Amino acid sequence: MGQGTPGGLNRGGLPGDRKQDGSGKKDKKFEPAAPPARVGRKQRKQKGPEAAARLPTVTPLTKCKLRLLKLERIKDYLLMEEEFVANQERLKPQEEKAEEDRSKVDDLRGSPMSVGNLEELIDENHAIVSSSVGPEYYVGILSFVDKDQLEPGCAILMHNKVLSVVGLLQDEVDPMVSVMKVEKAPLESYADIGGLDAQIQEIKEAVELPLTHPELYEDIGIKPPKGVILYGEPGTGKTLLAKAVANSTSATFLRVVGSELIQKYLGDGPKLVRELFRVADDLSPSIVFIDEIDAVGTKRYDAHSGGEREIQRTMLELLNQLDGFDSRGDVKVILATNRIESLDPALLRPGRIDRKIEFPLPDIKTRRRIFQIHTSRMTLADDVNLEEFVMTKDEFSGADIKAICTEAGLLALRERRMKVTHQDFKKAKDKVMFKKKEGVPEGLYM
Amino acid sequence: MAPDPNRTAGGASGSGTTKEGKDDASAKKKVENEDLSDEDLALKQQLELYVERVQDPDPGLQKVALESMRQEIRTSTSSMTSVPKPLKFLRPHYGTLKAYYETMSESDLKKYLADILSVLALTMSAEGERESLKYRLLGSDGDIGSWGHEYVRNLAGEIAQEYAKRQSEEAPIDDLMELVQQIVAFHMKHNAEPEAVDLLMEVEDLDMLIEHVDKTNFKRTCLYLTSSARYLPGPDDLLVLDIAYMIYLKFEEYPNALQIALYLDNLQYVRQVFTSCDDLLRKKQFCYMLARHGITFELDEMVADDDEREVMQDIINNSKLSEGYLTLARDIEVMEPKSPEDIYKAHLLDGRASAGASVDSARQNLAATFVNAFVNAGFGQDKLMTVATDSASGGSSGNWLFKNKEHGKTSAAASLGMILLWDVDAGLSQIDKYFHINDTHVNVGALLGVGIVNCGIKNDCDPAMALLGDYTDKEDSSLRIGAIMGLGIAYAGSQNEQLRYKLAPILNDAKTSLDVVAFTAISLGLIYVGSCNEEVAQAIIFALMDRSEAELGEPLTRLLPLGLGLLYLGKQESVEATAEVSKTFHEKIRKYCDMTLLSCAYAGTGNVLKVQNLLGHCSQHLDKGETHQGPAVIGIAMVAMAEELGLEMAIRSLEHLLQYGEQNIRRAVPLALGLLCISNPKVNVMDTLSRLSHDTDSEVAMAAVISLGLIGAGTNNARIAGMLRNLSSYYYKDTSLLFCVRIAQGLVHLGKGLLTLNPYHSDRFLLSPTALAGLVTMLHACLDMKAIVLGKYHYVLYFLVLAMQPRMLLTVDESLKPLSVPVRVGQAVDVVGQAGRPKTITGFQTHSTPVLLAAGDRAELATEKYIPLSPILEGFVILKENPDYRED
Repeated sequence: MGQGTPGGLNRGGLPGDRKQDGSGKKDKKFEPAAPPARVGRKQRKQKGPEAAARLPTVTPLTKCKLRLLKLERIKDYLLMEEEFVANQERLKPQEEKAEEDRSKVDDLRGSPMSVGNLEELIDENHAIVSSSVGPEYYVGILSFVDKDQLEPGCAILMHNKVLSVVGLLQDEVDPMVSVMKVEKAPLESYADIGGLDAQIQEIKEAVELPLTHPELYEDIGIKPPKGVILYGEPGTGKTLLAKAVANSTSATFLRVVGSELIQKYLGDGPKLVRELFRVADDLSPSIVFIDEIDAVGTKRYDAHSGGEREIQRTMLELLNQLDGFDSRGDVKVILATNRIESLDPALLRPGRIDRKIEFPLPDIKTRRRIFQIHTSRMTLADDVNLEEFVMTKDEFSGADIKAICTEAGLLALRERRMKVTHQDFKKAKDKVMFKKKEGVPEGLYM
Repeated sequence: MAPDPNRTAGGASGSGTTKEGKDDASAKKKVENEDLSDEDLALKQQLELYVERVQDPDPGLQKVALESMRQEIRTSTSSMTSVPKPLKFLRPHYGTLKAYYETMSESDLKKYLADILSVLALTMSAEGERESLKYRLLGSDGDIGSWGHEYVRNLAGEIAQEYAKRQSEEAPIDDLMELVQQIVAFHMKHNAEPEAVDLLMEVEDLDMLIEHVDKTNFKRTCLYLTSSARYLPGPDDLLVLDIAYMIYLKFEEYPNALQIALYLDNLQYVRQVFTSCDDLLRKKQFCYMLARHGITFELDEMVADDDEREVMQDIINNSKLSEGYLTLARDIEVMEPKSPEDIYKAHLLDGRASAGASVDSARQNLAATFVNAFVNAGFGQDKLMTVATDSASGGSSGNWLFKNKEHGKTSAAASLGMILLWDVDAGLSQIDKYFHINDTHVNVGALLGVGIVNCGIKNDCDPAMALLGDYTDKEDSSLRIGAIMGLGIAYAGSQNEQLRYKLAPILNDAKTSLDVVAFTAISLGLIYVGSCNEEVAQAIIFALMDRSEAELGEPLTRLLPLGLGLLYLGKQESVEATAEVSKTFHEKIRKYCDMTLLSCAYAGTGNVLKVQNLLGHCSQHLDKGETHQGPAVIGIAMVAMAEELGLEMAIRSLEHLLQYGEQNIRRAVPLALGLLCISNPKVNVMDTLSRLSHDTDSEVAMAAVISLGLIGAGTNNARIAGMLRNLSSYYYKDTSLLFCVRIAQGLVHLGKGLLTLNPYHSDRFLLSPTALAGLVTMLHACLDMKAIVLGKYHYVLYFLVLAMQPRMLLTVDESLKPLSVPVRVGQAVDVVGQAGRPKTITGFQTHSTPVLLAAGDRAELATEKYIPLSPILEGFVILKENPDYRED
């Protein structure tokens, strides 16, 4: 290896004649240099290692015998592959051989390896690298490194002495994005939502069904909606509904808050958005939920500060990801906001966000449901008549009702009672409404 | 909250049960009811009331209750995510109603109740009990559609199960069939053709379909049937196609009917199509389709008029192919001949290629000959061979011919045939001069050239037979080979008796040398391709048995089993008798023969079991140097190439073979990939082959290089061309590999990009047997590259001519003159089973005919002015003026 680098230098010095060194080596009984897999500078990124192993798509999507037969055909072939591989493994175990190879490669790599940055690819076997300490080096790339994956700017592993490229660090998923993945499903389910039947149905049709039953849409001959926006007054259950979706779906659920997309450094925000959707695509089928979208999605205007412009650029990236050049496939988007009127119209046009779901303040029936949900685990005194609260003219949101119930419970607790009385509820309601109307006692100026 | 009224309702409904049961029920109900809105509650109470009334002794009340219940269920609409409300609320009463039904006396009301129970069972009945069907059969036989689509769908599923059960018990199925009749009628009326077809397939009564199809839905039905046929196990597939054929005939969609007839290889059906259609113009279109498929067909009394019959027979005989092809070439402006240097494009390389060119000039010249022949195929002019005839530079053509050494001259002379492909008159007159040169090699080439010119063309004078016939019995074996191979190419698929009498004796003559026998076997195989001809099979079998052990080890011997296999190409079980006989062969050739027969017989069927069998053979490890795994690998490709899914999965399997297989398997894998993606440069295959083209084993590399040429054949694909250019400089010192690279370069620019080698045509539906036979012969020869292609039998490459076809769409008017109309050309979309009228092509561009169609492309007319006489716009298509067309 030690001679490898200077040797490469000399030969590289011959202008544009690397083929000769390939055959020159051959004369000297060397193994011929690995020839270029393809010519061209920028290597396109592979869509994950499975790109080659991906199964063919099966049409039609409708459930029918033809589809069954086609799927069975694929299964047959897979079984044959399995049988073949099993046979081969029995006859000639690859594992030992692979193990041997691996240890050889490990020997060549040396330990520890230093981490560096690939600055430039010179030819198939040489590159300029830099490490964090400073100087840049012209080094060789070992033959077992997958050259298709190398591209300028990627993180690489270097041999600790000769600094040749011995591997590359592949995990490029922004840690910020991996945090967004919802690993533990929230506890709220559809059953915990009072009312909102129409909204639940809409979101199911727009988000869940396209992922689970694409054939329904195929049958009718339409493209399923790409995303929905949930809007309405604060406390009407937008986030709750999103949680319920996360709870019930088996698709990957990524959740972001709009403000997370605003980053300190220039270009970081759009990059995060890109990463987010790339991860979503990798893990598809998936649902991306962006809460409080108004943080980035406000109308564009002449921005004076760099920060505002950055926010707008983040939104532009979001626009592109929602309906841009690359199709997103099985990624559905849910946005939530309580200020839909301030959002950029481009964000809401059909094709990006096809369905707008309004969350109104609860009507009487819904209010009753919500009260029932919240009081179902409370011990109520016999005199409690919830109908009184259900029937009032005041505008409660779902969150207000929850607050009233909690408040009433607290009042009872304060007096060490085991039951919550009607009086508690009344007081609680006044208190909540007082706070809501910003300090003006209820009924004072009505 | 108003819980009181429904508490009474709950109590009322539970009145028949015991005290505790009642308490339980009402308590439970209370919990349930708390979740309900007011309307739902009202509905629920209403339904409960009906349930109670149904059990009333008064028939009048019963009837009213049943009617209203039925009304509720029918009018209920639901979202697609949930169970309709009335059904949900009736669920708890399902048991009660069922019990009551049993006690009811026979009456109309009982039937009514059965209907309702049948609907309820949709959501209630346990898996496998098929109660919905049971009550349906007991019910009133009303209109089945009135209960909604989901109900019908469920019923269809239960019928399928019940049918299977009764079939095993041999119980009568008449009542079921009546129901099936109703369901099929309903489905066909409501755009659910796939479901109707599925149900009929389950109950094995597809004939019923014919009475239910109408003008609006027969196309979709047939499309579904034909695409299912590929995946159905035999003999169901033939049955399905038969039905589709009958439907097409019924609706006078003759071109499609003809396609199916050709697919089934049923000449009886082909004749039927001809006789049932009485439009002469359409019949001409059929002739074009037959010509593309490359089968021999005599019209005789099917066309009454003598003149017309002659015109049509001419079409079938492909006499006009050359003309059409040249029209295309002129339109696309590629008539200018190209020299091999134009293809090599050495100036794009780093200026070293020229230095390396002098290493083995004979090999290089031979390569240039082939490149020249492939590139200028069919154009009638080039820069090496034909120059002399039309310029004054005298013997320059002779010069080129004599720049080749010995057997190289054979290929050079034969290349003239390739250049004048399909143009019989001009071809014969130009080749004629080579017969007079006193040089055996040139004469051999001339014989071969005559055969190539006549490939796929039938001429009344039979010039090939007249010219070549005498040479088959000459002393010189190379002359014999030339004549025999020429005859094989010229008469492929014709099943010409006369030739059999001429050639069969050669096989069994112990004195003839092995190479003559090998080529005779192939030629007979080509002439009788897919015919299962007993006599020819016998002759080849005897030839195989007679040869000594040493001879069986020769590389050329592999052509004998192949000739035998070609006789059974695509004929499936018919091969079995011969396969039995092959077990008695000498062990050296036995397995090889086995594999070849198996792969040929099931070629283009997509039969998974056979693929498994072949894969099984590939998974053994050999130590005795047997060679049968090569044909097995190619066999996988031959069997799997039938449909897209199998094709893609086979590519995956081949990847495994590469990883685990030993050298003899690895050598065949690139060839198999080449066959799978012929003239269809898929990027992933291209990458695999590119990787293999640098393999350390030179034979693997050679096969990969040739396959790169095959997958890009006739596409002018710039990426493959670039790869090959780089390879040419990488291998500039290795003459064998460089030769392969050159051949591949020639293939990529086959016919300057106007030709295809794909044996599949007509929307990938039909497989031309002669084309496949030609390809397979060439691939088998490539299995032993060093001995055959790189040895003195390089002219086996000319077998590819059998698969060459222009990849064009040429529209002609009613007098068969070319007619230029705008067409849209785009990527074909699979529209089977889709609702509405989906687009059949995507990403299209509008051109005017004639146009080129790449692999996976489809065309449609962009004007209403004309009506095409064939739905498949490929090759020659006759256009008729649209009488309803109005200029805007």
